[in-house]
Amino acid sequence: MPLVENEILKLLKRRRFRVAILILVALSGLIVFAQTQARDRRPRRDWRIEAQERIARMQNWERSGRLPQTQLRWVRFEIARTQYHLDRNMDPEAISGPLFSRAFANASSYLLLPLLAILFAADIVSSEFAQGTIKLLLTRPVGRARVLSSKFAALAVAITLTVMLGGLVAYLFGGLAFGYRGWGAPVLSGFRIAGDTFDPAGVRALPLWEDALLAFGLAWYATLAVGAIAFLTSVVLRSTAAAMGTMLAALIAGTILPRVAPSWEAQRYLFVTNLPLPDYYSGSPPPITGMTLPFSVVVLAIWALAAAGVAYAVFLRRDVLA
Amino acid sequence: MRSEAERVSRPVVLSAEGLTKRFGKREVVSDVSFELAAGEVFGFLGPNGAGKTTTIRMLVGLARPDRGRVTIGGFDVARDFAKAMSRVGCIVESTDLYPYLTGRENLFHFARMLPNGAESRIPELARLVSLDGRLDDRVATYSLGMRQRLGLAQALLGAPDLLVLDEPANGLDPAGIREIRQLVRHLAVDRGIAIFVSSHLLSEVEQMCDRVAIIHRGRTLAMGPVRELLEKRGAERLVFRAQPADRAAEVLASFARGGLPRLEGEEFVSSEVPREKVPEALAALAAAGVLVFGVERQSSTLEEIFLEVTGGETV
Repeated sequence: MPLVENEILKLLKRRRFRVAILILVALSGLIVFAQTQARDRRPRRDWRIEAQERIARMQNWERSGRLPQTQLRWVRFEIARTQYHLDRNMDPEAISGPLFSRAFANASSYLLLPLLAILFAADIVSSEFAQGTIKLLLTRPVGRARVLSSKFAALAVAITLTVMLGGLVAYLFGGLAFGYRGWGAPVLSGFRIAGDTFDPAGVRALPLWEDALLAFGLAWYATLAVGAIAFLTSVVLRSTAAAMGTMLAALIAGTILPRVAPSWEAQRYLFVTNLPLPDYYSGSPPPITGMTLPFSVVVLAIWALAAAGVAYAVFLRRDVLA
Repeated sequence: MRSEAERVSRPVVLSAEGLTKRFGKREVVSDVSFELAAGEVFGFLGPNGAGKTTTIRMLVGLARPDRGRVTIGGFDVARDFAKAMSRVGCIVESTDLYPYLTGRENLFHFARMLPNGAESRIPELARLVSLDGRLDDRVATYSLGMRQRLGLAQALLGAPDLLVLDEPANGLDPAGIREIRQLVRHLAVDRGIAIFVSSHLLSEVEQMCDRVAIIHRGRTLAMGPVRELLEKRGAERLVFRAQPADRAAEVLASFARGGLPRLEGEEFVSSEVPREKVPEALAALAAAGVLVFGVERQSSTLEEIFLEVTGGETV
């Protein structure tokens, strides 16, 4: 425990932790601001009419036959989802502070949160090498495995803090613009895609807070997995810049690949493709047809465990000479 | 400085036996062995690339020897790492601690890695290294000398039996070097700590250490008490202040041992003359009409030994 305390102290005392908080605050503020601008410009009519119009518009696209296959799928889901809300007399577009916070989980799970996790993880071991403090750390009467474990634990704490902070900041800013109430509002959850069609069989109404908790839990899980992999690059490459570069390249590849090469099936086994876990919960189609939530959870777990295993193996054996 | 007999009677704190390390095909350290007794300051010298750093890394468990073993306080570093290291304090090369933490936070950080009770030593150690006034400033604002002293306080947190100091005087000004030297002597003499010092500042080592080893191309070329090493080589070299110098050199040639006398400037001649022949030589000089204004013993330095042993390579 004192070791974990050490590592947390080192993480929190660095400038990069403050930078991460700043990024979260700035980004949330910016998005909220952009959304209020968009809302104010467009005078709101009866949401019912809007929703019906939207369905009609999407049906037209569907019939036009000019949409590529992937977009056609998405349009069909959207029609069904909007209709589902309409049937139950719920505004599918209404936004509130809590809803904004919930949306943050989806939006941040595949880029922003992993990015922050990389910010912490990429230098957690390499910075000790860069400062030369690794030589002190590994000549204390504490086994190397315990040193590395304490770093892992500290990283997990930092990631947990960041995800919680992200949700909180999004809620505070979202609330400022759209009202703080609405955690109890029902949301529809459990959308499933059966083959190529929208399957409403599993859809349930949850209070928003429960839904948000699930979404943030999934985002947290995905971010932890990225953290573990970034941790490995930090151990192996011993350079913060190299570790960060590698991880960023992987993340960027992950956001581009499903778009430019949706037919490449094997990418479902890449960790980056599996990051948007909260999207499963809100009914977006998976990046690659046939991927499911349990599948993605397992793939991420395998990646994270393998990364941790290799990190330990390398760290325990390698001579520290530099 | 202590006598050899006194040394052997004290318990061995560190022992390295047949340390060998290979990088690929190149053997960087070959069969290096030595022992350190309690209260002894042991100097480890060698030019760059001699295997000095690699040897130190093996002593403190940062690198694994391919052959040989290191025991500290009777515990094998490879097998009982934690037990062995609980008796050791280190400064390995640059002593940079965490620059974004204060001195106190740094000390607490390393105290938490030790068995209980290390925290309580912090105030006393801060006084010992004269940092008590600056302990709550961030290390980034410290001078090099202060960082070095903080590093030393860190090394002493666990009340060690052995200190391993890699280049403790690196980058320090003369006053800082003297401070470190006094601290090292104090710790060895008054607290009985065995101290392993690697340095390239030979005059420092000479003043600080009881014994030295000189390592070159991965092998120990010389090892022994500093005074013995100095006495063995060229301690009888005398400097004659005489006129005319060239005439003096001619006369002295018949008494000299180990090479011809050397002219050193206008009126100086140095020559290795055995003690018992000195009066005879002086008489001969007088007889030859040479005016002798003075004779001094030129003490040999560790540096000369070092250059001789390593074949003139720089440190």
